[in-house]
Amino acid sequence: MSRKKSNNTIRDIRRHAFYNACLLSTVVILSVMLFAGTVISASLRKGMDNMKRRLGADIMLVPKGSKEKAENMLLEGSRSNFYFDDSIYEKVVRMDGISEVTSQCFLKSLSADCCSSEVQIVFFDPSSDFVVGPWIETEYHQSLSGDSVIVGSDIVNEDGKIRLFGQEYTIVSQMARTGTALDSSVYFSLDAKEELLTHAEEKGSFLTEEQKKSGILSSIFINVDGAHTTEEIIDSAHRTIGDIFDVVYPKQLHESLAASLLKITGAVSGISIAVGVLLVAILLIINSIIMKGRKQEVALLRVLGHTKKDLIRKLLSEMGVISLLGAVSGCLFGALIVIPFGRYIGQSLNMPYLGPGFADTMIRFLIIILGVCLIVFLSSIFFIVHTTNIEPYLALRREE
Amino acid sequence: MLTAQKISKSYKNNRRKILDSYEITIEEGEFVAVMGESGSGKSTLLAVLAGILDPDEGQVLLEGRNLNSMSDEELSEIHRKKIGYVPQSNFFLKNYTILENIVEPFLGADDDETILIDNAKRHLERLGIADLSDRFPHELSGGEQKRAALARALLTEPVILIADEPTTGLDTETGGIILSYLSEYVRAGHAVLVATHDDHVRDYADRIIDIKKETGLHGVSS
Repeated sequence: MSRKKSNNTIRDIRRHAFYNACLLSTVVILSVMLFAGTVISASLRKGMDNMKRRLGADIMLVPKGSKEKAENMLLEGSRSNFYFDDSIYEKVVRMDGISEVTSQCFLKSLSADCCSSEVQIVFFDPSSDFVVGPWIETEYHQSLSGDSVIVGSDIVNEDGKIRLFGQEYTIVSQMARTGTALDSSVYFSLDAKEELLTHAEEKGSFLTEEQKKSGILSSIFINVDGAHTTEEIIDSAHRTIGDIFDVVYPKQLHESLAASLLKITGAVSGISIAVGVLLVAILLIINSIIMKGRKQEVALLRVLGHTKKDLIRKLLSEMGVISLLGAVSGCLFGALIVIPFGRYIGQSLNMPYLGPGFADTMIRFLIIILGVCLIVFLSSIFFIVHTTNIEPYLALRREE
Repeated sequence: MLTAQKISKSYKNNRRKILDSYEITIEEGEFVAVMGESGSGKSTLLAVLAGILDPDEGQVLLEGRNLNSMSDEELSEIHRKKIGYVPQSNFFLKNYTILENIVEPFLGADDDETILIDNAKRHLERLGIADLSDRFPHELSGGEQKRAALARALLTEPVILIADEPTTGLDTETGGIILSYLSEYVRAGHAVLVATHDDHVRDYADRIIDIKKETGLHGVSS
């Protein structure tokens, strides 16, 4: 039975196993680094952009001494509780120079039946809100009554219900991901606060004396109108409600965080470039060694009737298979690192971290695979062409 | 069939012309041996005639076609089908078995692998090393490697076989096997050109070209 030539590229690669394994390992490391590096940088940047949108208020008034807690809550989403007497809210609302004002109240560390970890409960005023609203991913058309809630993106509940303190609440909407612990928060209307606290007490949940009081608020968010400065509003607030508050500037927080991000992404880029250059240098060295070791083979095949084109095609096919295999494996390894552990990476850097979506990941995957294949191609083509151009007879004589 | 017209060749690091306006013609059914001491230019002559080394001047014609003006593709076709070449040293593809070494270099997209394998086995059988076809080159002795290289060069039944020192360093018996096989190949209508130090070749060759190191090759061979 006749048999035609089969594709021998894989067999040829295995015949030069050692150096090809070195080449493959380098390509894998390069791909892991490129994939993980770009995903982490992009996710931090995305988290930052997201935060910028989330920090939608010009100033935030919090109880005196709570500034640091409030900043941590805004930046990292860490759970906190601090309280004002809610009577100040009406006074602030009546101040001049304010275009938007709303209030929120936080209860931290309350366990929920839904979740393995504790959740933060946030009470907000839907009628005046301009902070939570932009984060609602799925629009809700009903009012937020006492038995309905909005939940953070990490709270998954297939039947659309959530149980807290023995009571069942309907989930009417879900927030977009913030990349922080706020993703496991539950948002109630301020009107539901009294009833929820009652249920919490009935269930034996620990509440502080302060939390048991009915008229409490945690923060007041203010947007200043165009005719006034934030300083004027703060002065006015001091005159109106007294020296009982600290001021948090969410947008300034973003700027300082953006500067940190710039340093981190700069460091990531710098390290990536340095390691990338090193790996490309290693690729060049390996390719040079491989082709030096294959001079005799190339010369012999030329003598036996292989054209330069045949040989370039054969060697490039091997490089192509190795680079494709290495790039795909490297991206998969990179994905195994950054997708499950991305959030921990963000937390360890104290930065908001929003991982890429599926489509974004796939595009990045393809771009890096193409890029790595191109790098391997460029790092090998000179040696391949040089080796195939050597006069075969003289090359064989030198090998004798 | 194979004609060299006024070929000259010198190497960059050596001012002396190894070949100087040399002319030779080899006909079908002819066994030609080039003999002479080391460094006299035998290997260079064979390489130029095989079309794997370009002469500085002159041309080499195979069946009327100038090897030195051919495209890479045309010359490759000549090397696959018309000229078989056995280098002085035993060069093989590492990590390929002997059979793979013989067949795979000649296996084009349109070639039938089965036919090539059958041909390779036939040559190996005739050269007495059929049982070594699945071994790797480094597992073979020098004489066995030489025979395997010959089988590779003969695989596609080229019109001329050019072999550089095919029997040098081999015992008389192994050398005899190779020379007998080459004679048989000549009798089948092909041409054979060898470069050698081996005086036994004189018993098989139709024509001997003697070269002196001092004078090299020049003029027209007799």
